[in-house]
Amino acid sequence: MAEEFSVIGKTITQPDAVAKATGSALYAADIKLPGMLIGKVLRSPYPHAKILRIERTKAEKLPGVKAVITKDDLLKIAYTCSFRDLPMIRAGSLQRPDQFILADKARYVGDAIAAVAAVNEHIADEALSLIKVEYEKLPAVLNPEEAMKPGAPRVHDHAEGNIAGHYTYRFAQGDVEKAFKEADLLVDDTYETTKQVAAQLEPQAVIANYDATGSVTVWSPCQLPHLAKRELAHIFGMPAGKIRLINPFVGGSFGCRLSIYNEPICIALAMITGKPVKIEYTKEEDFACLETRTPARYHLRMGFKKDGTLTAVQLKLIVWAGGYAGRSQLVGNVMLIWGLGHYRCPNRAGEVYNVYTNTPMSGAMRGYGNPEIMWGVEQTMDMAAEKLGIDPVELRLKNILKVGELSNKGLPIESTALEKCIRMGAERIGWKEKRDRREKGGSRCRGVGMATAAQSSGGYPGLLEHSTALIKLNEDGSANLIVHPGSPGTNIWGALSQIAAEELGVFAEDIHIVTGDTDITMFDLGSHASRSTYVTGNAVLMATRQAKNQLLERASKRLEVSPAELETKDRKVYMRENPQKSISIAEIARDAIYGLDGECLNISGKCSWEPKSSPSPTAAFFAEVEVDTETGEVKVLKFITAIDSGRVINPTTVEGQAEGAIAQGIGFALTEDYVIHQGTGAVETNNFDSYKIPSIADMPETEIILVEEPDPTGPFGAKGTGELSLAGVAPAIANAIYDAVGVRIKEMPITPDKILEALERREVS
Amino acid sequence: MKEQMVKFLVNGTTYEISIEPSMTLLEVLRDKLGLTGTKLSCGVGSCGVCTVLVDGKAVNSCLTLAITVKGRSILTIEGLVKGATLHPIQKAFIDHGAIQCGFCTPGMIMSAKALLDESPNPTRAEIEKAMEGNLCRCTGYVKISNAILAAAKALEEGEKQNG
Amino acid sequence: MIRVLKPFEYFEPNTVKEAIDILSRYGRKAKVFGGGTDLLVEMKRGKIAPQYVVYIKSIPGLDYIKYSQEEGLRIGALTTHATIADSHIIRDRFELLATACKKVGTPQVRNVGTIGGNICQGGPSQDTIPSLLVLNAMLKLVGPHSERLVPIDKFFIGPFQTAIDGVELITEIQIPALPAQSGGCYKWITKRTTADETLVGVAVLIVSDSTEGICKDIRIGLCSVAPTPFRARKAEELLREKKFESELLEEIVQAIDDEAIPRSRENYRRKMAKILTKRAIEEVWQRINYLKNINVDGK
Repeated sequence: MAEEFSVIGKTITQPDAVAKATGSALYAADIKLPGMLIGKVLRSPYPHAKILRIERTKAEKLPGVKAVITKDDLLKIAYTCSFRDLPMIRAGSLQRPDQFILADKARYVGDAIAAVAAVNEHIADEALSLIKVEYEKLPAVLNPEEAMKPGAPRVHDHAEGNIAGHYTYRFAQGDVEKAFKEADLLVDDTYETTKQVAAQLEPQAVIANYDATGSVTVWSPCQLPHLAKRELAHIFGMPAGKIRLINPFVGGSFGCRLSIYNEPICIALAMITGKPVKIEYTKEEDFACLETRTPARYHLRMGFKKDGTLTAVQLKLIVWAGGYAGRSQLVGNVMLIWGLGHYRCPNRAGEVYNVYTNTPMSGAMRGYGNPEIMWGVEQTMDMAAEKLGIDPVELRLKNILKVGELSNKGLPIESTALEKCIRMGAERIGWKEKRDRREKGGSRCRGVGMATAAQSSGGYPGLLEHSTALIKLNEDGSANLIVHPGSPGTNIWGALSQIAAEELGVFAEDIHIVTGDTDITMFDLGSHASRSTYVTGNAVLMATRQAKNQLLERASKRLEVSPAELETKDRKVYMRENPQKSISIAEIARDAIYGLDGECLNISGKCSWEPKSSPSPTAAFFAEVEVDTETGEVKVLKFITAIDSGRVINPTTVEGQAEGAIAQGIGFALTEDYVIHQGTGAVETNNFDSYKIPSIADMPETEIILVEEPDPTGPFGAKGTGELSLAGVAPAIANAIYDAVGVRIKEMPITPDKILEALERREVS
Repeated sequence: MKEQMVKFLVNGTTYEISIEPSMTLLEVLRDKLGLTGTKLSCGVGSCGVCTVLVDGKAVNSCLTLAITVKGRSILTIEGLVKGATLHPIQKAFIDHGAIQCGFCTPGMIMSAKALLDESPNPTRAEIEKAMEGNLCRCTGYVKISNAILAAAKALEEGEKQNG
Repeated sequence: MIRVLKPFEYFEPNTVKEAIDILSRYGRKAKVFGGGTDLLVEMKRGKIAPQYVVYIKSIPGLDYIKYSQEEGLRIGALTTHATIADSHIIRDRFELLATACKKVGTPQVRNVGTIGGNICQGGPSQDTIPSLLVLNAMLKLVGPHSERLVPIDKFFIGPFQTAIDGVELITEIQIPALPAQSGGCYKWITKRTTADETLVGVAVLIVSDSTEGICKDIRIGLCSVAPTPFRARKAEELLREKKFESELLEEIVQAIDDEAIPRSRENYRRKMAKILTKRAIEEVWQRINYLKNINVDGK
């Protein structure tokens, strides 16, 4: 299929690869401005405390200190780091503006209490140590059970029972209780998932500048830059036009940088000092202060007919917000959508409680609730398969959604290749040969397991979606593409340049990406919900089509044929019926600028695109593991992900995303554990030496299968792809462990201790 | 302690700069010499993004006191490119899709260089061992391994052509 | 964590004596800087803030690996883990030590961290110690007025507490040569990932008799299952000078369990101490006998 295209489906040199490979790419911490000050934040050592008094004089008097701020210096305007009152939520705003720039009360260990700006880092450190805060310690609730007990201390005065939100599943249908009664098999289980950390390598770093005209410029890694600008304008009571947000290169996000963190504090310091201020978090601050995956405990019930048909599914979820609601408000809700809408099922219901606790904040991490919920759904499917005597592969095939049915988001499915993904993946891993082996190689047992998942291509219909792209042709026939997806390192610029290049008829390197500055770029929601390829991609496609039409219009005059007879390819405009009749795009573009064929025109195109769909990319995941039954150690030998993300714009990019997802999934399932001390509320696992993400030595043999089934609404048929390839990794591993040694662990991470304990319990029983 | 004038040999150039003994090599590179290609992340020697070569050996520059490497030959990511010609390892990383967010890339490339200088024909197991101190959260390491193997081949071919 | 270190006075002595003089002068306010990886992390985490830092890697003549049949193995205290792991002498004759050194930290840390520094850390989980214990290592300690040799199994008094008395520097590690029919190995389980802290580490050294099946000597060293690394002497006695029988292994590992006092993940650590000891003994025994048979048959 890729043969039809010149650029789509090819691996290209990414536009930013050379800068990154040579060390010349500038991330926020690399940027220096004249007169720049260093900002640092004083954080609460207690999980829950009133702030009685802040003694700051000594700090203010220290030579080199230019500002010390506390909550009393700032207007008390409530906001949420995940952006309040999003007009994007059609169902009504779920967001809780419950934060202030500096906390009015300490609600978790790490909450921001005061901040300083000084001429260098040494002085800033010392200034922090000179600020004396008098706290009144309050009883703290460090987990949802404590938080939900009657009479528990309130994290927020407005939240009774510490409930930040309570939502029911919006696509509920049928009668689950009746269906469960009538089911031939009912599988009923509780699952728990952890506070997985984004653990991106680049620490959070922000620079803010406030100039004499009253304008703010902020360099921020936020993935939703135009929305961040809007929220910052609200916080500071400024018109949005006075705030300019610039994204430098960003060293990873995985969802944590959807929100803003040190931006408001940095801007406040810049305003007070009149100088640019940079705040760089330490990695420990990242671990304590950036939103993590939202931990969940849920009760999942699934009812089946004897023949494996799923008849009912119900989810009751409790998710932890942490000290502030943030993005956890959205994630809990969306977990219901992934979990209850994954398979065909006539009876579905669910609800979620989001609970405040005096712990670091939870929000969105890659998958936005999908990996959390597939952990349970795909293990329950596995258990059902065993009880029904049906092969797990067959059970999935029986229940997966088909073209014409409604997706997990209630939208008609226009394309899906999940069946093909499942079959191909099963064949490649050797499912039939390797299943049920309980291969005994001494103490080592091998097994295979699988899972499936479906994600989305943008937040429609739950969120308003909008991306605008602008393209202008240069006189050498190259084009500048002005777009602003967030780019935390997903290689989206390459994909967008391929879309533009294919449509325009030039090479990928002829498209220059202009991005990262909200003063230049037009509105784009940013990057989340795997929207960029699909939504920004379509905006790019339509904008380029407009430019192409102008190009053909001008060329038709020169070639003296109608525009409808013309096509573009390889930097030329040519007549379809007679390709010899051609002219270079460069010549047309240049001549148009200088008015040689008519009025002066810089050929360009612009499109504000709103989707009317969000096609689901799908994937099948297959893991082969080896379990040492004496030590409980699990080695993932092989992992295969078969992906259906529509037309593949760039195979290397999609593979790279999927391979990274395998690593993150292995961490989620086996090695990553975010530990909060249940006495002090402090994060114990707060750097890479205590929070262990997989290294190269932990990776299995991998294979990524790209199953292309073009979607009718995607740009060149492409669907979203960034998050999907993580959702099924952890449950596939859990299912493979079960196949190998017959024990099922529903709590994460699966550690060797837990496996040995489970094996012992099984022997006893 | 007062600052001292110290000579550093970085990427083939000698710099004489005033430093405090408490400055790490990473600080000197980034803040004094403006070589921001080498990054800071964990600060405790667990992630490898700050990796540079000192006399050909990979070290964590965030855990190296600058004064202890005065006069030694220091190589950073900026020292790999020759004019406009990328080093084969850089080229391999680019060509094999081994770069996503890019933050781990300089450290990865430096560790890869140390490996290939010592073992021009590494097995996958040797690559894993040599790179186990460089974390990446984006790529899953697959294309990084592929790039290192490709770079090994390219360097070998380059040797053959020169030799 | 602080990203920039608080300033300190820095010294670069050229001899051991000079270093000791400086350390004696400033006492507790001074810290030794060798590879520096442990020290700098503690400083960044605010655990210590020395006013004086004494860089001892500038002292020549402490980075070497020497071997002779008479004197055995002598390793200079400033030799890095990387050098030891790559050394032919050590890989050929004391392989378990090379294995242990290759496990320490990451390649970057191994390139600068010294064996002397690793020993002085005195922690319960240092990877090199079990091997040094079973190799009967002796440590040469140099003080202001004297030198002494301390057997390594007397060096660890408590967690991060060593037998260093006042101002003393380790200058050399001495390991006696091993008899022909001997072998050893180091096995471990990490806490979470592959390149990670050791959760349980076991080193085993066995000397077998030319008489069939007698275990002339057995030494078992463990780390990370007690406040300090230790030799499991009671377990060793069960097999020393005895005929090797699989049944004995059960008793041996039970003795290991009795001697272990793990602080956390207790059940799991005990199980792993037993399993790793069993696996290590079996592996070494098979290997020695296989080699012995080859020699005997001349094949």
